[in-house]
Amino acid sequence: MMKTFSIGGIHPSDSKISKDCKIEVLPVPSKVYISVAQHLGAPATPIVKAGDQVKVGQVIAEPSGFISAYVHSSVSGTVKSVGPRKDLAGNNMTHIEIDVEGDEWIEEADLSDTLVTAIPEDNKAILEKIKMCGVVGLGGATFPAHVKLCPPPGKKADCLILNGAECEPYLTSDYRIMLERSKEIVVGAAIMKQVLGGCPAVIGIEENKPEAIKAMAAAVAELQRSAKGYEGISVMTLKKKYPQGGEKQLIDAVMGRQVKSMGLPIDVGAVVQNVATSLAVYEAVQKNIPLVTNVMTITGDCLPMEKQHNYKFRIGMPLSYIAEYAGGIPEKAAKIISGGPMMGKAIANMDATTVKGSSSLLYLTAEQTVRGVESACIRCGKCAEACPMGLEPFLLNKYARNNMMDELEENAIQDCIECGCCLYSCPANIPLLDIIRIAKGDVIRIIRGRTAKK
Amino acid sequence: MTQTIIWTIAILTVLGALLAVVLYVVAEKFKVEEDPRIDEVEKVLPGANCGGCGQAGCRAFAQFCVESSPNLDKCFCPVGGNDGMQKVAAVLGVEVAAKEPQVAVVRCNGTCENRPRTNEYGGYQSCRVKAALYSGDTGCSFGCLGCGDCVAACQFGAISMDPATGLPVVDEEKCTACGACVKACPKAIIELRNKGRRNMRVFVSCVNKDKGAVARKACKAACIGCGKCAKVCPFEAITVENNVAYIDFTKCKLCKKCVAECPTGAIHAVNFPVIKPKPEAPAAPKPAETPAAETVNKEA
Repeated sequence: MMKTFSIGGIHPSDSKISKDCKIEVLPVPSKVYISVAQHLGAPATPIVKAGDQVKVGQVIAEPSGFISAYVHSSVSGTVKSVGPRKDLAGNNMTHIEIDVEGDEWIEEADLSDTLVTAIPEDNKAILEKIKMCGVVGLGGATFPAHVKLCPPPGKKADCLILNGAECEPYLTSDYRIMLERSKEIVVGAAIMKQVLGGCPAVIGIEENKPEAIKAMAAAVAELQRSAKGYEGISVMTLKKKYPQGGEKQLIDAVMGRQVKSMGLPIDVGAVVQNVATSLAVYEAVQKNIPLVTNVMTITGDCLPMEKQHNYKFRIGMPLSYIAEYAGGIPEKAAKIISGGPMMGKAIANMDATTVKGSSSLLYLTAEQTVRGVESACIRCGKCAEACPMGLEPFLLNKYARNNMMDELEENAIQDCIECGCCLYSCPANIPLLDIIRIAKGDVIRIIRGRTAKK
Repeated sequence: MTQTIIWTIAILTVLGALLAVVLYVVAEKFKVEEDPRIDEVEKVLPGANCGGCGQAGCRAFAQFCVESSPNLDKCFCPVGGNDGMQKVAAVLGVEVAAKEPQVAVVRCNGTCENRPRTNEYGGYQSCRVKAALYSGDTGCSFGCLGCGDCVAACQFGAISMDPATGLPVVDEEKCTACGACVKACPKAIIELRNKGRRNMRVFVSCVNKDKGAVARKACKAACIGCGKCAKVCPFEAITVENNVAYIDFTKCKLCKKCVAECPTGAIHAVNFPVIKPKPEAPAAPKPAETPAAETVNKEA
């Protein structure tokens, strides 16, 4: 029997229209704008100034805290300016503007296609490389990868889970890299598993991607035959259900363990990394290539098949440039989303640029995005049934609207993962997630304030 | 039959008398000593329970006043105003200094005309939700979001959205300066300012911290931080920080020199008597009548 997480979940149509589009490499534009906030945590501090010459892969911003990451130049050329520019939500953020001249990489980068299977022995050096190459989690949250790979003292990883669920509808970038870069992903998994102390690694993939399951299983088998250090890696087929790719849901599905409220995956001995992160780890450790590229999907129902793409992009490319290159924005598109339709963000500013975690340009039509008229809660309980964290959204909605912070905390609003299942399932069109998200922020601030006081 | 009635009355009378004694003893034993002045102070308070004084409600405020008596400097009920505080002081038998009355001022002039919409917001109509999602449906990431959280927060019905401009309008008669709207606004646009002599006020109607060119591009009426107003001000009431000017209402003497100087018309002078256009000012000041009888004297 196929495994999946135990509570809640929904089954949206998977709409993986662009799944057969091979990854194409986007040409470098004449100018890029690289944001210093491409990861969770403190924005990085720029270390270049206008007039500096940079190469591809050169560090241009340093981390400014424990949870922060290096940012590298994705092009070679001259730094034009360092200053505020609007990100995709329209908020100001420091960007480094670079005029592109040629495509000269840093010397240590190995750009050849040869697969390096021998894993270096020094774990400290590996972690340092992952950190120096600015690798962050590419599953959505962009949490710095090296932090996750160093469990706090006293805690041990029992299992490394590679997230290949890609449960969001429409997105196919992870699927494509699992098909086209399967061996590299497995090497990345072997590296991370060694750093974590040799625990087993499981690559979790949903059943709707049989080719990816086959490709990954073949890559694992071949590497286990031909090289050392690959034992204990396996592929697990998961029953399709959204949000399988959620960290806590995936741990439940693969290991059958539940992370406690406000707890971390490492508390139950799990470390979860996306397959794209694994690829970035491979490139950083084996090829000395910093994280300056990633794969994104250009898709949507209103886009003809020939305009559907999976692109390998470099960070700092304007979204408008990518949309233009891909054949323009379709006329019927009413909303453009970066990320999946469930958790992605609507783009308010097409002049914004790609970041490490960019995963798509998704065109939705007016019919797909329009919100129904809100009506009274009929207490059908569909939201409570759908919530993968076992919360009661209808209750949280009521408490949140009345600012009842104690009750919200008692009902574990802080555990909400903002997956949107409640909003998706509500027949009364109540903006459950919008209201819960705001109240969740308030409650977490209260909890943090309390622990800070102690 | 008669006997039953007599027995019933007798038993109930005895029971009643016994319980009365019990209640009396309990009430005496667990009596809560409370300053009787708290009740008296509460009686003269408006009873709005708005929290504008910083306390949980009128009862809590009355207790706070009694506790901090005879020094009432920290106590101020914005709803009751100076008259109300005089009454409180009279109850407590102390003196209280009069405070300058205040009013909520909306510091954004991003009307549909001044600030073109760059995208369409289709989400839940709440400023807090909208602000958490993105910078808003215009090029300005500092201005009014127009979903009316301030209107919902006002207990006195003093704020309404003007459908023509998409901005909130404060009814100065009804505004008690409780500060609920100031707290509700996620963009911190609304400020409590002194009402001023005969309600006349001069203020910068913009909070955009972007550089001049960026701000101007997003909104025609934005403060571009040029500093002309600060230079012309004879009272050093104007400071320019983070590309936006701010007029200190305690220093402003209402000379209106800055209003004429502002190149974008971001400085507003309200409730000044309408004067006839002078020859040196070709652009005649247009008195715009708003529902709140607010006279905007804008010289662009």
